[in-house]
Amino acid sequence: MSIPETIPIIGASWDDVLFVLFAVVMLGSALLVVTLRDIIRSGLAMIVCFAALAGLYVLLGSPILAATQVLVYIGAISVLVLFAIMLTQTKAGPARLVFQTQWWAAAIAAIAVVVVVIGVVASTDWGAEATRLQSVTGDVARLLFSDYTLPFEAVSVLLLAAVIGGIFLAKREDRRDEAPR
Amino acid sequence: MTWSDVTLIAPLVAALLVAFAIIVVDAIAPHRDRIAVAVGLAGLAIVAVLTVWTDQAPGLAFGGAYTVDTLTTYLDLIFIAIVALTVLVGPDYLGPRDLPVAEFAATLVFAMTGAMLIAGSADLLVLFVGLELMVLPGYLLAGYAKRDALSTEGAIKYFLLGSFSSAIFLFGLAYVWGLTGTTRIAGVADAIAAAQGLSPALAMGVAFVTTGVAFKIAAVPFHYWTPDAYQGSPTPVTGYLSVGPKVGAFALIIRVFVEALGPINADWLPVMGVLAVLTMTLGNLVAVTQTNVKRMLAYSSIAHTGYILVGLTAYAADPNSGGLEAVLFYLAAYSFMNLGAFAVVSALQKRPGVTSQLDTFAGLGRREPYLGILMTLFLLSLTGIPPTAGFFAKALIILSAVQAGGWVPILAVITVLNAVAAAFYYLRVVVYMYMRDPQIEPAEVDHGPLLRLGVAVAAVATVILGVLPGPLIDAATKAASSLFRG
Repeated sequence: MSIPETIPIIGASWDDVLFVLFAVVMLGSALLVVTLRDIIRSGLAMIVCFAALAGLYVLLGSPILAATQVLVYIGAISVLVLFAIMLTQTKAGPARLVFQTQWWAAAIAAIAVVVVVIGVVASTDWGAEATRLQSVTGDVARLLFSDYTLPFEAVSVLLLAAVIGGIFLAKREDRRDEAPR
Repeated sequence: MTWSDVTLIAPLVAALLVAFAIIVVDAIAPHRDRIAVAVGLAGLAIVAVLTVWTDQAPGLAFGGAYTVDTLTTYLDLIFIAIVALTVLVGPDYLGPRDLPVAEFAATLVFAMTGAMLIAGSADLLVLFVGLELMVLPGYLLAGYAKRDALSTEGAIKYFLLGSFSSAIFLFGLAYVWGLTGTTRIAGVADAIAAAQGLSPALAMGVAFVTTGVAFKIAAVPFHYWTPDAYQGSPTPVTGYLSVGPKVGAFALIIRVFVEALGPINADWLPVMGVLAVLTMTLGNLVAVTQTNVKRMLAYSSIAHTGYILVGLTAYAADPNSGGLEAVLFYLAAYSFMNLGAFAVVSALQKRPGVTSQLDTFAGLGRREPYLGILMTLFLLSLTGIPPTAGFFAKALIILSAVQAGGWVPILAVITVLNAVAAAFYYLRVVVYMYMRDPQIEPAEVDHGPLLRLGVAVAAVATVILGVLPGPLIDAATKAASSLFRG
């Protein structure tokens, strides 16, 4: 028995329903990330948010991006963030949400930007670009090693610079600081 | 990848190798600062030679992702000069504070590689990666004094706002890419020209790109990170941050706004004009009230951003007004005079614990006559008094604004008023140096030969550009003309 083209009763297509589902989960968990008081739970909510985004990538027809999202963001970055939190966490955190004094101005600005962005995106005909995005892994690879060789290589230099900087900041003081502090 | 690709990016590869060499040398002979500096300077000289050499055969590399034209060469040479001067000035300040010199030099060279990548980018993605490669080492350098709370605070503010602005910039680029379907700058310009006019989505993209860039150049009202980051950083780093990333961000503005968004320059012209007025006026007004010279120079660097934006506005109003040439000349002149001023501040702060308050400068003219005279020279140049580099830089900017026509000449008037107001706080330092006596006679400081050389080079450049500006104006004109596509 095959799955029907559209969802019975409601009549909406599977894509649309899944999109709404993923979008709601993503936005909901993103809100949790910034509003939860326990920073570990925030980190876990962030993983849910990343997973929902990976789902959106699959819907958009880019499995390679979805796989990267899962591997890099969930597998590496989130876990690293959680480790960093657990290793450095102090017990003394504020029990309630702390808002900046200008939170209402920020809220108004954020809502205004969201409205404008929605209006602009909805009113624009993205046309050919939307279909062109249906990329397969081979195409991405071919682009990486033809048109985008230089940025691809430059990113590795960027990572190297970041690693050297990270080591400098994290390493223990050496010989020069033998004088008692 | 072809052989010509390799030769065109030779300066970039060489710069990377210089950074590696510094690190390797430091690993073999740890803490031999002189050796690290020597390797760095020799390497930078090679990079400079290669840059001039690639300029003999300009062209596109990597299928149109990277370009070598006269503009690339011009900007690259400024970056190399900035980093070389910073490497010269740095050790005298870092040494007494037990901060390693080799990592400092290597990090600077990495940042330079990023800036050079921006200057030569013909692709928005390359541009963005170059931007990140330029600013990331900057965050590290701002927090270079790890045990200094102010340095760490400044670095974190710089890092957070910098990352945030990079994200906004990238978001804007995504809109531009979504509309035009290409990341190649030439392709973007063609697509925008073909679309004729500003669609809402493009306007939104340009707005985000402008916001991101305004953060990077510290234009008002996106400047809040600047004073804290500048004051907290070790002084040689402040000197670098006030010129290196700024010139790099202007290189980015030239590539994005002048080239990619060139067809809609009438649309971003008013934005730049408003930013220019706000930036120079507020920068100067706040600088007047500062009693800390580093903080004062931080606000003054904001004001200088405003002057440069006037040149950009003049260009957008009329490409034949000479605005772009003025911007390019200003970037070079500003680099030398501002680095020079910071080098003197850094020299005074050689002994740990010496602050950059105005009082530190009291009686400097009598105590250290050479340093006093050179500081006066840099400050006069920053004010824009002939015969210094700063005079011609400001004159070219004002001339271009006058020639642009429309409402742009108003900017020229505001620039002149601002320059007069700025004279007050620059000359106040001179007054302190020559007419005030220090409350406590500071201990004698012995300046290293590298620092002397660095300050001297900056001073010579400031004077030469003020007496004989012709060759640099010619170079700037050539660089600007390499941009205009048929």
